[in-house]
Amino acid sequence: MIKKILQFSKLIKSGDWFVIILFCILIIISAKTLWNLPQGKYLEIYKNNEILAIYSLNQQISKTINGIKGKTEIIINNGRVRFSSSPCSKKYCIHQGWISKTNQTIICIPNKISISIVGTKKTYDSINY
Amino acid sequence: MTLSTINITNRDHQIAKLSAIAVALSLIEFFFPSPIPGVKPGIANIIILYTIFKFDLNMGIWVSLIRVFVTSIILGSFLSPTFFLSLSGSLFSLIFLIAFRNLDRQNFSLISFSLIAALAHIFGQFIIVRIWIIPHNGVFYLLPIFLVSAFIFGLVNALVTNKLLKLNSKK
Repeated sequence: MIKKILQFSKLIKSGDWFVIILFCILIIISAKTLWNLPQGKYLEIYKNNEILAIYSLNQQISKTINGIKGKTEIIINNGRVRFSSSPCSKKYCIHQGWISKTNQTIICIPNKISISIVGTKKTYDSINY
Repeated sequence: MTLSTINITNRDHQIAKLSAIAVALSLIEFFFPSPIPGVKPGIANIIILYTIFKFDLNMGIWVSLIRVFVTSIILGSFLSPTFFLSLSGSLFSLIFLIAFRNLDRQNFSLISFSLIAALAHIFGQFIIVRIWIIPHNGVFYLLPIFLVSAFIFGLVNALVTNKLLKLNSKK
């Protein structure tokens, strides 16, 4: 076993170590930057791809939205949000559970309602207007 | 009518044989279920690395591109998104291998080349995915997983190729 490890380490030359370490650093940096999403502040609710409302995540309320098939209920609970009831058949939106990070999204396709978390409130400028 | 003759050299025969092995390995890999969707070991790259180190880079480019085209034609995915993913991955790997061909062979063994090619392959595929297939920044969420798989399989492929080259030189 030790002999095999020695053989293995002989195989790797000094330049290879450099490449291996560089590769590992790249993996760590990419994981840290791409997976570390900041906590969201606001919730955007979309109906038929059009924005319906923006709520602050910093509260404890439930909202009912009228979709195409029926009423969808979402619950906001101090920084996180989930679908609690929906008229769709598969209930994927409910099974997704809580979301809390920026850019996380839950979509209910049958009822055409989606919610998305944003970091800062989008202000409406002249272009949007 | 002019009769054109093609002189088939020994080199062409070598390319054909190596490509055939690479295609066979790709097909085996295609039918072999993978634990995570999209993560594949890329065992055909063993043959391409072998070709580059046993012969030269030019031949490696031939084998790599022939493998991509022939495999896609056999599997019926020619000109489909799968084919373009495979092609862009291969092209990026080859571009990086060409760019780094003058690396000092004393200090850099084929492990480095394998890792560089694996990394380039992932980048090539992600560029195509981001621009064309899933035009959303959300795809980059998967990048670390694919980087880890590229690292592992790049290393394993390099070690297998090393073994192959050693076995071949003993004969």
